[in-house]
Amino acid sequence: MSVLKITDVSKIFAGPTVAVDNFSLEVGDGELVCLLGPSGSGKSTLLRMVGGFERPTSGLMTIDGDDITQLPPERRPTGMVFQSHALWTHMNVFKNLAFGLKLRGLPKEQITEKVEAVLELVGLAGYGTRGVNQLSGGQQQRVALARSLVLEPKILLLDEPFASLDQHLRERLREEVRDIQQRLKITTLFVTHGQDEALAMADRIVVMRDGRTEQIDRPDVVYREPQTPFVAGFIGTMNLIEGEVSKGRFARADFRIDIPIPDGPATLAIRPEALDLEAAEAGVAQVHRVTDYGTHGLVDLDLGDGTRLKAMVAHPDLFSEGQKVNLKPQAMAAYRDNARVYRS
Amino acid sequence: MTDAAPAAPRPLIDSNDSRRPTGLLLVAIPVFLVGWLVIWPIINAIVRTLWRPDESGAIGFNLDSYVFFFSDQYSINNLTITLWTTLMCAILLLVICLPISLYLRFSAGRLPAYVQAMAIFPMFVPSIILAYAFIRVLGPNGMVDILLNSVGLPKIRTPYLTPWGPVIGLVWDNIPLTVLILLSGLGNVANQAIEAARDVGANRLQVFWHIILPRISNSVLVAISFAVLGIFSSFTLPYLLGPASPEMMGPFMNRTFREVNDPLNAITQAVITFCFCIAFGLFYVRSVARNQGK
Repeated sequence: MSVLKITDVSKIFAGPTVAVDNFSLEVGDGELVCLLGPSGSGKSTLLRMVGGFERPTSGLMTIDGDDITQLPPERRPTGMVFQSHALWTHMNVFKNLAFGLKLRGLPKEQITEKVEAVLELVGLAGYGTRGVNQLSGGQQQRVALARSLVLEPKILLLDEPFASLDQHLRERLREEVRDIQQRLKITTLFVTHGQDEALAMADRIVVMRDGRTEQIDRPDVVYREPQTPFVAGFIGTMNLIEGEVSKGRFARADFRIDIPIPDGPATLAIRPEALDLEAAEAGVAQVHRVTDYGTHGLVDLDLGDGTRLKAMVAHPDLFSEGQKVNLKPQAMAAYRDNARVYRS
Repeated sequence: MTDAAPAAPRPLIDSNDSRRPTGLLLVAIPVFLVGWLVIWPIINAIVRTLWRPDESGAIGFNLDSYVFFFSDQYSINNLTITLWTTLMCAILLLVICLPISLYLRFSAGRLPAYVQAMAIFPMFVPSIILAYAFIRVLGPNGMVDILLNSVGLPKIRTPYLTPWGPVIGLVWDNIPLTVLILLSGLGNVANQAIEAARDVGANRLQVFWHIILPRISNSVLVAISFAVLGIFSSFTLPYLLGPASPEMMGPFMNRTFREVNDPLNAITQAVITFCFCIAFGLFYVRSVARNQGK
């Protein structure tokens, strides 16, 4: 059982720049939690603090109740997979994996046994004698993962491990990593700025912004019920329409819709797939562009005041540039003061 | 009317035969100068020391001058002190420059910038100025002696005119180049490679030994080879700071040629010095090639 607990952790760099601001999180046993956010949101700094490569300015971090806040990386029960793989090119695959075990003073036979078992696990059996420079990007990433796994860490830390790989390989590897993580039931903290990766792999997603938590939830909840306009805009594609609510009616340009919230400014959020279009001569929006993706179409719309929206349609051939349409949202949310005030 | 076909882009490397003489002409002058001023004197020196007239005046293969060098205790002592000085300098340069380079590579801020400036400073000080500065500071009745005397402490045993004099001067003189070469090698060691080592449990010393050192072995070889080649054949600092006997090969050659007026033995000493340097050079080339092949 391995539980990572982060309590009120902050990191302030010289400047001063607040990279992580009073962050708290508990990662349960065998859980895979994804830290998701744009560049500069503090997710990598947080992961590096868990790994011991940065010292928190304040706060507490524990693994299974043991305080690790001030421990150096070499004394932490964590294993990190780096974005650049960080393999040691002067060692072959076997030596890369065996290095940590040798430092722990394990006998040769046990080292060989463990290394071979992990190579088998990551699908690289028989690659031990290869130089790391002889491997493809995907194979190098598997070696990097194997190097961490062979030490049986309590917490596995993944720092954008697929960022340097092509799309196809990334999709395949993330499935493999998820399989391995579930098979080993290893508690994992995973940093990414790719929403697809987070949605596909995580048990829970932590959306971060400016060093703070915006939302912590299951992937489907984060996608369907974003708590803030930032999360709504960051996860997936979202139409965010700034407007005014007056007497329970939201207005932006000619677009009007009933929302039962008090008067004042509000941001309306509608997913493209939840926005139905209805051709109408006096429609409130004009079709700007239609893109046919084969499986579906994406219609770019203009509300007339420069506000652009996207709608996903099953039959893009029904729409053409310049055509007027009315908007029929099937689901939406409204935000005010960085909080959700309405959902339908 | 038809459009004219666009002109083909000019390749970066023009393989046109008519341009080859221009290229050859451009490299001809430096090649000629190297041949005239370096290669020819070497060949000439080797030939002059190996093909000499014997007692009867007949020119033939003759190793007498080499036999004399290796049977003369004074010459052997001079060669030994040169090798000892070179070895000491190489060890001290590594011991001094590696920590400086590591500090500069893995530190950030204003202080490392000052340290780097100080480490590079000797590069801009001519050897002769350095030698006299050394004498004024560490020599008999120098600044250190005066300071010790002022607080009632006894005089130091000055390294001036001892074998350690040239060692100190040559190490000081070679610090900048060694630091720069090591720093360039350390620049190729990625931070994440070091962090990965610490992540699997390596302490700082283990990181240095198992990760950093193997990755900079080429740079260490280059730095030490450059230093060794320069130190082995150095003249100014051993001449001004070193003992009169035994003396390093540089001053020894100069004295044999000018004061003893024995050009043959001076040339023999030069050829022997050259052979040692070429041996260092070949060792360096072989090691670098082997490392690159790994």
